[in-house]
Amino acid sequence: MTVAAGIGYALVALGPSLSLFISVISKKPFLILTLLSSTLVWLISLIILSGIWRAFLPLNSTSWWPFAILIFSSVAFQEGLRLLFWKVYKRLEDILDAFADRVSKPRLYLTDKMQIALAGGLGHGVAHAVFFCLSLLTPAFGPATYFVDRCSQIPFFLVSAIIALAFVTVHTFSMVIAFNGYAEGNKLDQYFVPSVHLAAGMMTLINFAYDGCVIGIPLLFLMAILTLMHCGRMVWRRLADNQRQGIS
Amino acid sequence: MESSILESIGQEIIGVMSPVSLCMLLVVLLVYSLSDSNSFSSAPIRTAANLVYLENPSDTAAQKLEGALLNALVFVILIAIVTFVLVLLYYYNFSNFLKNYMRFSAFFVLGSMGGSIFLSIIQHFSIPIDAITCFLLLFNYTIVGVLSMFSGGVPIILRQGYMLVELASSRDEELPALVYEARPTVSRNEGNPRSTLGFLVAGVSDSGSVELQAVSNNNVRKDGSENRRSPEYAAIQVRNLENVEGERNRVGERSPLVGHSRERYSPDSNSSEYSTVVRNRESEIVVDEERSPLVDMLGMDNEREHEMRDPVVASRGIKLGLGDFVFYSVLVGRAAMYDLMTVYACYLAVISGLGCTLILLSVCHRALPALPISITLGVIFYFLTRLLMEPFVVGIATNLMMF
Repeated sequence: MTVAAGIGYALVALGPSLSLFISVISKKPFLILTLLSSTLVWLISLIILSGIWRAFLPLNSTSWWPFAILIFSSVAFQEGLRLLFWKVYKRLEDILDAFADRVSKPRLYLTDKMQIALAGGLGHGVAHAVFFCLSLLTPAFGPATYFVDRCSQIPFFLVSAIIALAFVTVHTFSMVIAFNGYAEGNKLDQYFVPSVHLAAGMMTLINFAYDGCVIGIPLLFLMAILTLMHCGRMVWRRLADNQRQGIS
Repeated sequence: MESSILESIGQEIIGVMSPVSLCMLLVVLLVYSLSDSNSFSSAPIRTAANLVYLENPSDTAAQKLEGALLNALVFVILIAIVTFVLVLLYYYNFSNFLKNYMRFSAFFVLGSMGGSIFLSIIQHFSIPIDAITCFLLLFNYTIVGVLSMFSGGVPIILRQGYMLVELASSRDEELPALVYEARPTVSRNEGNPRSTLGFLVAGVSDSGSVELQAVSNNNVRKDGSENRRSPEYAAIQVRNLENVEGERNRVGERSPLVGHSRERYSPDSNSSEYSTVVRNRESEIVVDEERSPLVDMLGMDNEREHEMRDPVVASRGIKLGLGDFVFYSVLVGRAAMYDLMTVYACYLAVISGLGCTLILLSVCHRALPALPISITLGVIFYFLTRLLMEPFVVGIATNLMMF
């Protein structure tokens, strides 16, 4: 529906990440590199998953359980990759600290580590938004629009943009929670992230029913808000602890 | 609180990657906006790429193959001849002629290709503009382009912008322009290092107006030439240094001749003409040699094939040749003709290849070709995305299931 609508859909999906990018990440080149590499990792995971599942496609779109298996396996794989990402990050942190010692600058602050985690999460989120939403948006720049009967009230592009927005939030902040959980050894955080991701994925299965998106999407946003709040609380607590430690 | 290292680390890499990304973005936009109107134009234009054989869809496969090989052979011979002529001119000190020729060809390229794209855009978007205004604007744009590229006192952003636009426009497949990089045919002249250095566009590391990065002690110096003899000459200055020696800060490669030959389609005559653009402003270095200590230092390791840059000298920043920009943009533009998903995948592949090359550069302190890793990754990712990922993602996304 014309260029304006196309740009609108793109901004619905990516607006918050764009503002996050401009305000936080674009200032530090290293964070941009982290974002690019985490996007690449997500892309590779998607390619591997599609390689594994290629033989079973196209899936029969009347039964929901193949999709459930697909989503479950995909989420499991991606969470496994997140663990790998964490291990690589640990090594990187050591390298950066050694480098900082060499040029006699202070080591990485807590806020630095959180920013790196944020950049990593944002990379995942942006990759999700681009591959699941933006790449399908090209027809939206034309004169017509498209409806799917799973969600017949609003155009398909808008639905996918809204879902992408929720997932961007989930991905971005769950990375911060996950890194913090691994760093502190906090089991709650460590298990929180995969379960939220899985729950969010499963919520989209609700879309399978006719007009299911009326229920599915608000629930999805509930997950996103949950992630946001948990992340906010955790960051606040850590920063307060850090400050107290710094002062004392 | 002291500033942490996170503020400044990785700046050079981003400095290289952002022009590349911008150029690719420009190309993708051009492809998307002009693809509908230009897909099935009139009869194919005879250019230097098809001097001998013009492809006809009804020919047999054998005929096409033979014709293609013949075209390639003629093309290569033509390029070799022109390169040879240029090197001879260099050798016999026709520097003024070459300088003016460079300016003229930059003018012509900007004018003709910019003009074609401008006209396509006007046609596509039905912009109401009359011929005289259009001509005036184009002329203005071209002249400013030439001025910004070849003279001092022009803000560096403008110069970089023009280079990007020129790169992006020259890669537009609709136009019969072919960007080709000439291979030098003259062996390195081990003679007087100064003069050769002064003259030949060779991989002289350009003078240092480059500030040393306090943080990164990588002695990175890369000229992104495809191989040692690939003529990448003008490099986009990766840092926005306000120095006036910006113009001298060019090229990073070691080939004696940097030829950027294009074939142009002249609308008035129905033949294609060649112009070899030597975009090397090295000729201006001649007078300024004293001002560039880097040039002196490098006099010794000039034209050798596998030279090792002096580490001190090397910490002048990273330079990427223009041909690399072109080929990256060609790849991404090609991907754009299929789908946005492939564009993004190829973009990530190219950027990660570039990142790998830069890392390798900091390990091996010698100039490296920028193309192999990126292009390989780009091609692999393109096919993987197109064949594997797209059915997967589109299948589940249109069912509104995402993860």
